[in-house]
Amino acid sequence: MLQLQPQNLLVEEAIGQAFAPDYTPVFLDRIITDFDFTTYHLSTPESKTKLLLSISIKCWNDLVNYGVKELLLSKYSKYPFIQQAQPEYGYDYSLYIDVEQATFSDEEEKQQLIAELSLLKRNCFAAPFLQAFQRYEVLSKEQPVDPNNLYGEDSPNNSNEQVLQLHYRDMESIYIKPSNDRVTVIFSTVFQDDTDKIFSKVFLQEFSDARKRSIQKAPQVINSHQEIPLEIKHLEAANTHNKTYITFVLFPRHLSTEDVKWNSITHIQLFRSYFHYHIKIVKCYLHQRMRFRVNSFTKILNRARRDVDDEEHRSERKTASGRRFEMRA
Amino acid sequence: MEDLDFFIGDEALQAAKGPAYSLNYPIRHGQIENWDQMERFWENSIFKYLKCEPEDHYFLLTEPPLNPPENRENTAEIMFESFNCAGLYIAVQAVLALAASWTSSKVVDRSLTGTVIDSGDGVTHVIPVAEGYVIGSAIKNIPIAGRDITSFIQTLLRERGEKDTSLKTAEQIKQQFCYVCPDIVKEFNKFDSHPDMFAKYIVETVNQSKLEIDVGYERFLAPEIFFNPEIASSDFLTPLPTIVDQVIQSSPIDVRKNLYKNIVLSGGSTMFKDFGRRLQRDLKSLVNERVAQSERLSGTKSSGVTVQVISHKRQKNAVWFGGSLLAQTAEFKSYCHTKRDYEEYGPNIVRNFSLFSVP
Repeated sequence: MLQLQPQNLLVEEAIGQAFAPDYTPVFLDRIITDFDFTTYHLSTPESKTKLLLSISIKCWNDLVNYGVKELLLSKYSKYPFIQQAQPEYGYDYSLYIDVEQATFSDEEEKQQLIAELSLLKRNCFAAPFLQAFQRYEVLSKEQPVDPNNLYGEDSPNNSNEQVLQLHYRDMESIYIKPSNDRVTVIFSTVFQDDTDKIFSKVFLQEFSDARKRSIQKAPQVINSHQEIPLEIKHLEAANTHNKTYITFVLFPRHLSTEDVKWNSITHIQLFRSYFHYHIKIVKCYLHQRMRFRVNSFTKILNRARRDVDDEEHRSERKTASGRRFEMRA
Repeated sequence: MEDLDFFIGDEALQAAKGPAYSLNYPIRHGQIENWDQMERFWENSIFKYLKCEPEDHYFLLTEPPLNPPENRENTAEIMFESFNCAGLYIAVQAVLALAASWTSSKVVDRSLTGTVIDSGDGVTHVIPVAEGYVIGSAIKNIPIAGRDITSFIQTLLRERGEKDTSLKTAEQIKQQFCYVCPDIVKEFNKFDSHPDMFAKYIVETVNQSKLEIDVGYERFLAPEIFFNPEIASSDFLTPLPTIVDQVIQSSPIDVRKNLYKNIVLSGGSTMFKDFGRRLQRDLKSLVNERVAQSERLSGTKSSGVTVQVISHKRQKNAVWFGGSLLAQTAEFKSYCHTKRDYEEYGPNIVRNFSLFSVP
């Protein structure tokens, strides 16, 4: 598994079962976790055929500011058997799915709905990105890209543009800044562990270099370990917690069509988890190599061990006072 | 990159059917044997299925009884060093099975003393637990479990010449039709006088045709091998109630009464209807016999021993359920060792965990 999967497998499985033709309704009460303090709750409060899918997200209030409710409405309201319910207590958003009423024209449509439901978290996080992309489109029309701007410098008119903020973890945030020829996404992360920090530096260096070497289509990645990037200088007063900033620059090619946009969102919203996942599996890999090495070293050491034969052993047997046994044949 | 190209669980079984992958079992006989694969197993289960950042969460892992402390240390090293998990608690499976039995209405005091009969697919353990500590010297294993019952049904089907005698059919019959009877001879008579006791199991074959399989005496004979092992095997002949009695008799004398009073079932192979009732009856007759004998020899009156076997709804996943019950309590985090503790004292802190206090 090189990439983390954006959908939640457990939600996908549960809903897939519920829509299966041979489904026997059962009582459900499941709490399912996801990255970044997201929790799903799948339950059947009224009857066994009515599923209530609730989600709670840490930065829900930020998301509401960026129009998450409208986005989710447009995503799920086309299905008549799904109602936008009053959010369950302790959760931020709820969907009420009536399995009995569910009708699909074909298998593909059903699979698509299952996928959309299991991607609920991604869809929530997409709201601020989509808003930034819209703003970018407006800006790019107002102020077409200057072909003489060879060095790709950000135009000075954009510095007053509003920066969208998502405080999605305790000390870590995502900043999104639209401009006339790009959308800049900045992650701030904190590492609890010093070893992780070193791994992260190597890893990020690799990321920045990838574009130079072969993958020309990749967004530009800039990382700074101490300095606050200029785009968000006015938002973060001082780098108090030794944060690392990772900047992604999305170019028009990443925002061209609807599909490409969603693809960019899917990948970028998982970036932090992906990043931490890879630091962890690198450590796992190192541990495997270390175990292998230790094993091969012990094998070599064991080669040096001398076989003590019976004769020698016998001559060494002594009593506590140091006397030797007289062996009788 | 090839170190990321693998599957776990059901997906692994699927992938192993193709030519590109081979199947490995990192755990054998309840003990971790291949740490490389186990580390990858955890990595995949955390990031692919649970989808959580281990730094944000406390983990509750379980271990079999008699797990060597070195294994615990290795586990802690992986959990803390590779995954940076926030906190870790390693619980003994038998203790969690006891905790799961608290959901039964028969349990009055929530004590962590009792005998756990854990029967899975490969082996059945009888484990005495006193106040949350496993009495290691008294544990006994029985080589009869789910797999043996299934293969016993399979041989019966084959001897009778049924049309389909696959392992899957035998397993389905075991799960759907089998129950424990109070007396085999009476049950045979009952079957002969009431032909409606014979059931039919319908198998759908690959080419959409349906095969009817008769299900006869194996309905009660199959689980009977726990109580009369001689009908299925020739090398292991001690019935389960006798083993339970021996286990309790070899435990310290001051806990024996409580061990008899709280016998808890766990694992899929204890799910047969009336399994607990039969075990309780057989064990009671053994105990009563001994009590009567000692009364006769000593001439004093015994205060009596209560034998109680507790069955409950969560038996099949008792260990998991008990774990989730304890992990939900508010004080769970205070029993865990945190990453900071680990860094301060090293891996040997996980040799000891404080027990959950009983509310």
